[in-house]
Amino acid sequence: MPNGVRTARRRWLLLTPALVILLFAATGPLLIVLVYSFLTPGDYGGVVWTFSTDAWFNVVVERDFFDDTLSFADAHLSIFWRSVKLSLVTTLVAFIVGFPTAYFIATRPRETRDMWMLLIMVPFWTNLLIRTFAVMEIIRNEGVINTGLIQLGIIDAPIQMLFTEFAVTLGMVYVYLPLMVLPIYASMERMDFSLIEAGYDLYASRWRILRKVIFPLVKPGVVAGSILVFVPALGAYVTPRVLGGGKQLMLGNLIELQFGQGRNWPLGAALSISLLAIVMVALFVYVRSAGTQEGRHD
Amino acid sequence: MPRGESSDGARRMINIVALSKTFGSGATAFTALTDINITIRENEFFTLLGPSGCGKTTLLRSIAGFVDPSSGSLTIHGDDILSKPPYARPVNTVFQNYALFPHMTVAENIGFGLEMLDRPKSEIRSVVGEMLELVQMTEMADRMTSQISGGQQQRVALARALAPKPEVLLLDEPLSALDFKLRKEMQIELKRLQSETGITFVFVTHDQEEALTMSDRIAVMNKGRILQVGGPKDIYDHPAERFVADFIGDTNFVTAEIQSLEGDTALVRLPSGRQIAARSAPDGAVSGPVTIAVRPEHATLEAQGALLDGLLKNIVYFGTDTHYHVMTQDGSTFVIRRQNQPDAAEDHKVGEQVGISFNPGVAQVLRD
Repeated sequence: MPNGVRTARRRWLLLTPALVILLFAATGPLLIVLVYSFLTPGDYGGVVWTFSTDAWFNVVVERDFFDDTLSFADAHLSIFWRSVKLSLVTTLVAFIVGFPTAYFIATRPRETRDMWMLLIMVPFWTNLLIRTFAVMEIIRNEGVINTGLIQLGIIDAPIQMLFTEFAVTLGMVYVYLPLMVLPIYASMERMDFSLIEAGYDLYASRWRILRKVIFPLVKPGVVAGSILVFVPALGAYVTPRVLGGGKQLMLGNLIELQFGQGRNWPLGAALSISLLAIVMVALFVYVRSAGTQEGRHD
Repeated sequence: MPRGESSDGARRMINIVALSKTFGSGATAFTALTDINITIRENEFFTLLGPSGCGKTTLLRSIAGFVDPSSGSLTIHGDDILSKPPYARPVNTVFQNYALFPHMTVAENIGFGLEMLDRPKSEIRSVVGEMLELVQMTEMADRMTSQISGGQQQRVALARALAPKPEVLLLDEPLSALDFKLRKEMQIELKRLQSETGITFVFVTHDQEEALTMSDRIAVMNKGRILQVGGPKDIYDHPAERFVADFIGDTNFVTAEIQSLEGDTALVRLPSGRQIAARSAPDGAVSGPVTIAVRPEHATLEAQGALLDGLLKNIVYFGTDTHYHVMTQDGSTFVIRRQNQPDAAEDHKVGEQVGISFNPGVAQVLRD
């Protein structure tokens, strides 16, 4: 047997466990979800094996319960819109907070950098629910901020922060921030800091150094961080559930609703696939635009 | 006398007075520069020479603006530049690792300085073209910097620093990463660029040969101090201190005693009892025991009864020249270098008694 063939076979052998898991845990369930989205909902949840495109129809259109008139599914669309909007805001805020943080850590002496990274990572190792409830404790009407402001006499009545879009965004920024800091830090640490000196030497001001030297060099980290924050934020479930209090639903909550109380599995499946599609399109557009800027020559 | 003009007529460019730099404080404080005083002239190829850790790079970085001196003053054409950030100083640096921007092409790298100075696009394009030609990199203009060789990166780094036409070009051991042959080429290239552009070069190196071949003047540094400033010939022939004599070229050290001093000529008594005229060191001892330095090629091998006598211990053939190791009366080794003639027979034998001689004025009295 030629050596090349043997190496190729061994390589496939090494890949087998990963492929099996991928097949059974990712591709398989995805196919089931896709199939369910074209079936009819059962009376008590589950599906009836009758082909129907109603679920896909219902993603965007609503049939009136009484007179069968059709209208846009405003509820769904507003949840879609809110999900995309809050995820984008979360990504942006995480970048604005995470970029200077990563820069700060990358410019510390080598011995102390690990300690700073540990501080970033510790919350990440804490249970998501606990972290979310911690945010709740801070912003609720009887929480730290409102109590403090009332005690100081700055406000008379508590500011309603919990169960708002603000609360959901704050929670998501807090939860996903390490995912932004980590890749930016990784590319910053690799950066040759003498390039910054070279920039200063060649008459670039601080702001221009940031824009013309540092940012282009750490852009791969920023792209990776943005994807790592945006994708899970779009499908977030716990944070909007706890901090949005059922009022600020996001896609994750809407999908859960269909599989639970809504007893409309096909609709839940169709919404899941829609979520996946949004992620794919967003990623495609984002990576394309980031990529073309990279190769730009002017 | 107009501002910036020294008595010898050459225009002063950089004036450094009583510059010191201490890093850290308390018990961990490290003094990198102590009382530096230099004047660098216009259009000069000025070299800071010294072993690693001698402070030469710290001094260069002080001029560039990356190091903030603890005390002293630094002016360029009379302007105090210590208060200015690096981007407001009329100097550009060629970094040791080149520090080329990896996300830009060769041409974009070269044009970066002018772009930051907000020069018009047409001007940038023409200057970049000029610079590419100057360093013979025109065909590489659109390559990324990762796609060119080390020597080519070196050229781009030079072109990038020269493009904004700085008053002073600072070079931080720019040739140390190149292999021997390329380094020789670039030495000549650098000299050419300096004379073509007329820009003052301040060059940092630990390579004494590089310093001797390229510089108009050299400042020899050790432990944060400047030991001697002078032309290559001056430094080589008349080192003021033992460190300078030892660091640059090979030297024989002989103990002697000053008998009398007249101008810069000292009459010294050698261990053999003989006396000879030597050059005295500025601010050196005026009497008593001193050390004198004699270059191996400045001494000749004679019959016994010369200035110094000794036993010929070793003859080492080097091709271009032959080294004779003579053990003198006080037990130290004195090396004499003699240039070889074609097919000349070796007229000395190891183990014979010989004499050492050198001309009056050749020996240099050292300050320490």
